[in-house]
Amino acid sequence: MSKIIGIDLGTTNSEAAYIEAGKPVVIKSVEGQPYFPSVVAFTKTGEMLVGEAAKRQAVTNTEGTVQRIKRKMGTNEKVNLRGKTYTPQQISAFILQKIKKDAEDFLGEKITDAVITVPAYFNDDQRQATKDAGAIAGFNVKRIINEPTAAALAYGLDKEGDQKIAVYDFGGGTLDVTIMEVGGGVFEVLSTSGDTQLGGSDMDQALVDYIAEEFKKRHGVDLRKEPKTLQRVLEAVETAKIELSSTLQTDINLPYIYVVTGEPKHLEIKLTRTKLEEIISPIVQRSEKPCRQALQDAKLKPEDIDHVVLVGGVTRMQMVQKKVEEIFRQKPKREVDPMECVAIGAAIQAGVLSGEIDKDIVLLDVTPLTLSIETLGGVATPLIDRNTTVPTRKSKVFSTAADNQTSVEINVLQGERPMAADNKSLGRFHLDGILPAPRGLPQIEVTFDIDVNGIMNVSAKDLGTGKEQSIRITGSTKLSDSEIERMRKEAKEHEDEDKKRKEKIEIRNTADSLVHSTEKTLDELKDKFSSEDKENLEKALKELREALTGDDTDKIKENSDKLTQELQKASTKIYQQAAQHYQQQPGQGTEQGDAWQGHPSDDDSTINADYKVKGEKKKKKDEDTE
Amino acid sequence: MPTKKPTGTKKNTQETAHHTIKKLEEENTQLHQEIMDKNDKYLRTLADFQNYQKRMEKELQAQKEDIKKKYLLELLDLTELLKKAYEDSDPKSGLKLLLENLDKFLEKEGITYIDCKGKPFNYQLHNAISTIEQSECVDGTILDEIKKGYLVGEKLLRPAHVIVAKKKP
Repeated sequence: MSKIIGIDLGTTNSEAAYIEAGKPVVIKSVEGQPYFPSVVAFTKTGEMLVGEAAKRQAVTNTEGTVQRIKRKMGTNEKVNLRGKTYTPQQISAFILQKIKKDAEDFLGEKITDAVITVPAYFNDDQRQATKDAGAIAGFNVKRIINEPTAAALAYGLDKEGDQKIAVYDFGGGTLDVTIMEVGGGVFEVLSTSGDTQLGGSDMDQALVDYIAEEFKKRHGVDLRKEPKTLQRVLEAVETAKIELSSTLQTDINLPYIYVVTGEPKHLEIKLTRTKLEEIISPIVQRSEKPCRQALQDAKLKPEDIDHVVLVGGVTRMQMVQKKVEEIFRQKPKREVDPMECVAIGAAIQAGVLSGEIDKDIVLLDVTPLTLSIETLGGVATPLIDRNTTVPTRKSKVFSTAADNQTSVEINVLQGERPMAADNKSLGRFHLDGILPAPRGLPQIEVTFDIDVNGIMNVSAKDLGTGKEQSIRITGSTKLSDSEIERMRKEAKEHEDEDKKRKEKIEIRNTADSLVHSTEKTLDELKDKFSSEDKENLEKALKELREALTGDDTDKIKENSDKLTQELQKASTKIYQQAAQHYQQQPGQGTEQGDAWQGHPSDDDSTINADYKVKGEKKKKKDEDTE
Repeated sequence: MPTKKPTGTKKNTQETAHHTIKKLEEENTQLHQEIMDKNDKYLRTLADFQNYQKRMEKELQAQKEDIKKKYLLELLDLTELLKKAYEDSDPKSGLKLLLENLDKFLEKEGITYIDCKGKPFNYQLHNAISTIEQSECVDGTILDEIKKGYLVGEKLLRPAHVIVAKKKP
């Protein structure tokens, strides 16, 4: 079934959303914004513009531009644009068409079905007109729902039994208050009230006036008279409003705002939250009456309301939230973006209709903790990360840590700590019969496979001989919450020391393989190195070997670096010589050489994570105590 | 009344029925297995998808952080230098270099200024803030620029805010 989108067809802006994998996603316009200005225009040349482009040219083309068409929906009024008349339905259809096209671009599929919202107070004619607009735009309008209902749906309030809900929708230009009753998933509007002449733009105006007056007092110039300066003040007001919702004071600084008799003037005004609230207070105050009226019409007291939902950008302001709390005597809900709330609710309704939401959702388990195996030096090398959805399967290729090692032990671990011993061992087994070979050569593929019931099958396969061993571990995803919590907490607490310990082991492991590879290189290229280089290399090698018998990590690191330097110096010479001889033939096999360098990593490619040799740990301990 | 005649046929029928049952049973087992396999595959694909989503979310977050870092670093350099210029008794020459560097940075990022004064209004690049009626003018010409507009590559970063001429009728 194709997607159904939800559309909030607004007076100044419209929004659209849809449901993807159970979650609402807001659709962006081609211009990259999460809304579509509800503006339609025809230019002199007869070109039709909708949305952002139409808004930008509105003042230059007043005779060809129409805004706020929503207010005319359901009336017989017609709009005359460049010699042609249009019904409000047609104009709304142009907006819906733009949304449809941009949504199709955004989603990459054809969209034909939509749920569109209307104000709760819309009558049958207005609803029919909205439906017609949808049809003209090429939509199959699945349902027309009320804006406050959509807002309540966005909060999932339909699932909470019998409730009484108040929706306080304070937008840029209007205030709408709706009281609803919901039961059994059905919404009934009990009353609506509002003020069509009250909105956020009134607040902006009041703030601009305040700042302009302050500037005038100081410099005798009215910033409102010049469009250039007015624009800057408007923008500053917008920023200050947002800032003051989280801080108590903000500086409005507009350098070079005006030149008074050849001298540049800067606007510098401190605006406190208290001052801001004092300025907008009369406007916020005016929203109280419609709320009281709506309660009265619904024959309810504030205490009867179970939930209050906030919609519209203005409700982001703390003062407005406080006012609502004061009127309804409870904290309003505001977790969902108040600008997107209605479109999201419409999308949820659309999702229910398309079956996207209510279809049997397959709930899959996740691994509560990371699953790893123990590798050289007692390090836990992860195969499946924490919070991975199961069923899943992950393989990694490992190798041996010593020459002629014929057996590896697979110790399966669970937990977040980097060292094996600090994690919980879920089980262990051996894979024997590996053919004697130099370390790093045998390829042993370890696979973790967790099925849908959380049963894990761990297998190790010698890719050379095809020999395989495996065990089954049950309950890898079933841990009590307290156990998971404890293990995560432990990991967090030990994060720093664990990191240090792991680093220590890694330095040791790197040094160990460096010794090995240097020995090999020296042996293979003994004729190519100069005797001086050979001597230096052997000396550095000896020092590193000695360092490795001790436990001084810094010393190991220092000696490793030294040996690496010597090695680089010597090999550079060889390559330089080679380059002179074979300029046309680049060296081969470098890739493989890289792959086998280093130590266990999270890389998915074949890595050289050496197994610890059986009994090695014990041996080391003995050495340590010596 | 039962007759003896059909016994042979009865046995035959029984055998056929038995055979059919066995065949159906086999088919049933096979189909059952097939469903199990398909279901497992489906669940694994679903889990893969969910894991992919998680990874993507993480990567997107990391990318956002990287981009933020890059621009914050540029901004820090600029702040440091501006502070120095502020301390300077004659900052003009230093500010000149600073501006040059900034311009270079913006140029590298593909930012171009939308030159608009005196040009015809174009909704793709300009945002009209107001109009001024004049008797002597070309209708729709940009008279003044209130805020500079910029492109990033071919795309609009910010439209130029402009005042447009309107011919008096």
